[in-house]
Amino acid sequence: MFTWANFFSQVFNGLALGALLALISSGLTIIYGTLGVLNLAHGAMFMMGGYAGYVVYDATGSFTLAVAGGALFMLVVGVVMERLVIRYFYQRPHEDQLLVTFGISIVMVEVVRLIFTSLSKTVPPPALLSGITSLGITFYPTYRIAVVAIVAVALLALYFLLYRTKLGMIVRAGIEDSEMVDSLGIDVYRVFMIVFGIGSMAAGFAGIVNAPVVSLTPDVGEAILVQTFVVVVIGGVGSFPGAVLGGLIAGEIVSITSMINPAYAYVMLFAAMTLVLVLRPYGLLGARGRE
Amino acid sequence: MTANRRSRRDFLRQAVATGAGVGALSTGLTPFMAMPVWAKDEPPIGTWPAGSQGSSVFIGISVPRTGTYAVQGEDELKGYQLAIEHINSGHDLIKKISPKTTKGVLGKELKFGVADSAAKPNDAVQAQQRFITENKAVMITGGTSSAVAVALNKLAQREKVLFVCGISGSNDTTGKDCVRYGFRQNFFGQTAAAAIAPVLVKQFGKNKKVAYMTPDYTYGHTVTKSMQDMTKGDGWTTVTNQVSPLGAPDFSSYLLNIANSGADLLINVNWGHDAVLSIQQAKQFGVLDKMKLVVPYQVPFLARETGGLMQGVYAATDYWWTIEDKYPLAKMFNAEFEKKYNYKPEWGAENAYVSFAHWARMVEEAGTFYPPTVIKTYEKGETIPSLVGDVHYRPEDHQCVRPVIIVKGKMQKDMKGKEDYYDIVEIVPGEGLMQKPDAFGCKLGDYT
Amino acid sequence: MPSSRRYLAELLTALGLLIAPFVLPHLGLAPNTANRILVWGLFGIGFDILFGYTGLLSFGQAAFYGTGGMVAAYLLTRAGFPSVWGALAIGMVSAAVVGWLVGLIALRRTGIYFAMITVAIGEVFYFVEFNPLADWTGGENGLPGVPTPSLYLGFTTLHFTTGWALYPFLAACYFIGIVIALRIVRSPVGAILSAIRENPLRAAAIGHNIHGYKLTAFVIAAAYAGLAGGLLGILQAFMPPEAFIFDTSGQLVMQTAIGGPGTLFGPLLGAAVWLSLQDFLQAALGLGSAWKLVLGVVFVLLVCFLRHGLVGGIKDLWRLAVHRRQAEVEAPEEATPIEAAAASMPAREREGDIKTGTILEAKGLTKRYGGLVANSDIDFTVRAGELRGIIGPNGAGKSTFFKMLTCEVPPSGGTIMFEGQDITGKGVTEVCQLGLTKSYQVNQLFTRLTVRQNLTIAALADLRGRFRLDLFRSVEKIPGLHDRVQHTLGLIGLTARADTPVSALAYGEKRRLEIGLALATSPSLLLLDEPLAGMSPRERVETVQLLKSIARGRTMIVIDHDMDSLFELVEWITVLQEGRVLTEGTPDQIKSDPAVREAYLGGVHA
Repeated sequence: MFTWANFFSQVFNGLALGALLALISSGLTIIYGTLGVLNLAHGAMFMMGGYAGYVVYDATGSFTLAVAGGALFMLVVGVVMERLVIRYFYQRPHEDQLLVTFGISIVMVEVVRLIFTSLSKTVPPPALLSGITSLGITFYPTYRIAVVAIVAVALLALYFLLYRTKLGMIVRAGIEDSEMVDSLGIDVYRVFMIVFGIGSMAAGFAGIVNAPVVSLTPDVGEAILVQTFVVVVIGGVGSFPGAVLGGLIAGEIVSITSMINPAYAYVMLFAAMTLVLVLRPYGLLGARGRE
Repeated sequence: MTANRRSRRDFLRQAVATGAGVGALSTGLTPFMAMPVWAKDEPPIGTWPAGSQGSSVFIGISVPRTGTYAVQGEDELKGYQLAIEHINSGHDLIKKISPKTTKGVLGKELKFGVADSAAKPNDAVQAQQRFITENKAVMITGGTSSAVAVALNKLAQREKVLFVCGISGSNDTTGKDCVRYGFRQNFFGQTAAAAIAPVLVKQFGKNKKVAYMTPDYTYGHTVTKSMQDMTKGDGWTTVTNQVSPLGAPDFSSYLLNIANSGADLLINVNWGHDAVLSIQQAKQFGVLDKMKLVVPYQVPFLARETGGLMQGVYAATDYWWTIEDKYPLAKMFNAEFEKKYNYKPEWGAENAYVSFAHWARMVEEAGTFYPPTVIKTYEKGETIPSLVGDVHYRPEDHQCVRPVIIVKGKMQKDMKGKEDYYDIVEIVPGEGLMQKPDAFGCKLGDYT
Repeated sequence: MPSSRRYLAELLTALGLLIAPFVLPHLGLAPNTANRILVWGLFGIGFDILFGYTGLLSFGQAAFYGTGGMVAAYLLTRAGFPSVWGALAIGMVSAAVVGWLVGLIALRRTGIYFAMITVAIGEVFYFVEFNPLADWTGGENGLPGVPTPSLYLGFTTLHFTTGWALYPFLAACYFIGIVIALRIVRSPVGAILSAIRENPLRAAAIGHNIHGYKLTAFVIAAAYAGLAGGLLGILQAFMPPEAFIFDTSGQLVMQTAIGGPGTLFGPLLGAAVWLSLQDFLQAALGLGSAWKLVLGVVFVLLVCFLRHGLVGGIKDLWRLAVHRRQAEVEAPEEATPIEAAAASMPAREREGDIKTGTILEAKGLTKRYGGLVANSDIDFTVRAGELRGIIGPNGAGKSTFFKMLTCEVPPSGGTIMFEGQDITGKGVTEVCQLGLTKSYQVNQLFTRLTVRQNLTIAALADLRGRFRLDLFRSVEKIPGLHDRVQHTLGLIGLTARADTPVSALAYGEKRRLEIGLALATSPSLLLLDEPLAGMSPRERVETVQLLKSIARGRTMIVIDHDMDSLFELVEWITVLQEGRVLTEGTPDQIKSDPAVREAYLGGVHA
């Protein structure tokens, strides 16, 4: 189904999807890079952020408040989860960490299902951003364009946090060598807690920002989780720029394949991941080290 | 047979011989006695006679209560519950469809169990297997997803328990996947397409370019194919067929392809939540401004959930409440349903209610729960009442031959009430819409 | 082990399976549920071998479950294959083959990468069976109409239909599955799998081809999954596409974790808990879809508090109850002394063994890490039978040098010849099999296993080679194993502690075991990286005696900082400084060499 109009629309679509994946994957990758814990509950956090935002929206009618609410709620959830559960697992084998985060993801999904039922909830985009914009070659929902902008701002904020603040420096050092950071007298565990919270917040923020696009169901996180894995593997585990690059690449792979046959879009993602694993085992921007 | 079954058969023969005489014969001699009704000297089959020996019989119901079809599944469930209530109390409406009913079915109270199928065949099969082995269900029902319907068809045939299909739109359910033990009431791909195609051609003209959105499973593929076949003769061509997985969260890629395809019409076969989402997103991507939307297999609550996007949209459906002006039974049904649930029924609930009522009638006519007899009663193909006039079940494939209703979404300003979403365009009689009995490769299985 | 104890597990299983249909209905368990538990249990046996025993956590087993099931179902429904048993067998074999192919890709990575790859593979399989292969798999309809098996016995035919009638067939399959699995874990392969779980690095370093064994475990898991999938189709008369979804893999993982990984029976118990709770919560408590929430919470709690699942918890309770009187076994402060040195254990005769002349020659050996040069242009020669020492201040590059010699790390430049063979760039496993191995500076032991098990694993590598698929042989029946292990135990003075888990050993004892592990592979050239590190004076004396006794008939190179002990032990010393060879000489020469003193003390004396 190739026409130039279609091609450019799909590329743009891929950008929108990719930006979202980049944000979510950044959260996952900095958590893994710093704490060494692969957070299998990340998709569920994405979903919960959406629902938290929905609750705020329902109560206040303001989309901005909903976004803020969703993000802040997930920041708290992340911190609480780290304090109550994750911190006891740092010394335990990797498998146990995977199991416990997997279990928590199930609990999160089912709690949401219990409270909100499985019927989907919609959060409409803010009136200012709803409607259609003409991009010249194609029409595109205004809100989706806005999502790219919003996510870009969020990524910039994250970048600023990681590369221009003292905390960020400690986090990046921790990604490289947390033992060393500990030996330097810095409270690594406090850093871990903050990082987990930030990662969770990033996922939650993405969740509520994405809600007007795909509507909320309790199962929305599962598919996102798998795609996030792919992005993180492609970009390189523990690398923030890798997550961004990986996200954009993944988004484009999905949309351009959709042009030919949408059914194969996600399989192409996995094929790309396998290719990266074979050719560049540590991802495009990753470094040897954490396994 | 294993030693188990043989000794059980012997024991039962003894019980019959020494038991309390012969039960009432089918023409309702003593319908008030809660006696076990024996078909003479038949070996046990499925859950017969074990399931109908007591004062109640059990129905296994599996509907999706979670997932993409949850809304429609809940609605279907309400239809079943209303039907069971009416049958147990001997309600007038039921008596109009099943005149021999007094209270319950053959005097036995209907009890039921509900399981969440989540539109997944696996979950439905597991649940119904439990209902059959533990509760000795005499009849299983439920669907909403054709995949579930097909799986339950096969289960029913293996377990020798009647399956009264719930919502199922695929041609295969009474086509290549038909079974002796399965029955379907509602309209399906073939009849929907046959009914709506002439209306569409009349409205939009010949030689149109069509973009299809198809959910990737049996229902989707057969409905799309039926539509293509029915419109081919008038020169309608398919410029693209975008196949999406069930439960897809984002239709943007498909819609972009469609938007750039140059189609005149968008025929959206997606169902349930997929339909809601794909139509909403179609609007967002400007597709609905470029082409006309058609929903060949209407979705309950679609108009409500898409918030006005169904205005001017043609659809084919099993039932729409405004036909009550023509059909007094429909009027009764609407009133009863609204009384209990506070909204006008959609076709999912209607289908559930009617198929149940038909089953009750067949069992009463048969005078026994013995499955082969009940099946043969269906296969007599008698004309029986329904909420949409007279219908009958075709013996060759157990499909109910019934009218299809073409509706068109009303403009907001024309709506007389908040549920007045559609205008009835035409009620097309069923006979002319059906495919030849063996056209879809239906081979019913054995009776025992 | 007395034979009655040995087959206790099999006997109990048979017993349990036999009485279950009579007991379970009274517990409210439906026959269908019991059948499902058996299928999940069988699925889990293979997974437990992969995860519980080998330590590979896969979230993609559904791929093989579904493959085996679909192949069997396709043969029985669409292809008209007559025999149910045959179809099941073919399904299982197909799943195993597919598992082999997938394992070649997936096992390239470990840990979380491995987990992520398995998730992705599961998703790909689901997609492929759903779409492109829909004609064979029925797409989302699945394959309905799967028949049930019958057994023709001559005088009668047994039809296994549904409910309790199907139970004997499934129970028989499960029993056979357990018997085979028990044999596998009791075989040398089983021991090596445990080693891989505990310390893959060391398992490879003592001469096992761990990649081959991991692949074996992966294929075994896939085979069990495939058989279970076929049984699922029969159980439901319908092969669903849901067999492939991520949820299925996830449920398997959770059931195994709940039941207890590494026990083989854990998955069965976990499935029983899961399925009966599911029924109970939905039916009795009317919780509807909230049952999964309850199960999720139970799962999280179990992972947090019962690290070895329910079976582990039961075992602990048992131990607590039975051994209440015995005090907690604590790691003692002082190691038990080594008895008078037993007769030394000669190095194994290998092809190409050199008794005299140069046994090891390194030329121009260099190692760079980015800009840092750890070793620079080292020439190093050792004669057969020699006792060599290496000393040098911190940062001299001693450990890096050893790593290059054992081929743990490839050199940036230079060559290494061992017994006349160029071993530069080979792998650590291969080199160990050739007779060159090392004992580590930081203990690399198999911590959860006993001393005896540790040594057994090391000895197995030597006695069986890099890789052998003797899955059904009993470990005890390997010729020469017992003697080798006993001998080594004697040498390192741990005979009394043979059945103690490593975690309960004193530090000195662990160091001795560390040396013992290397010894048990009967190396011709044994490298010892700081064997005396962290030992008390008495332990040092004993260890030096030990090293002297094992030096007979063997070449040894020792790195250490304890000059006194070293000077007493070795004949010739190489001194490294800043990655280069500073000097070489006898202990006396080195003691009095001013350059050496300066290297250590930084030139205090004029």
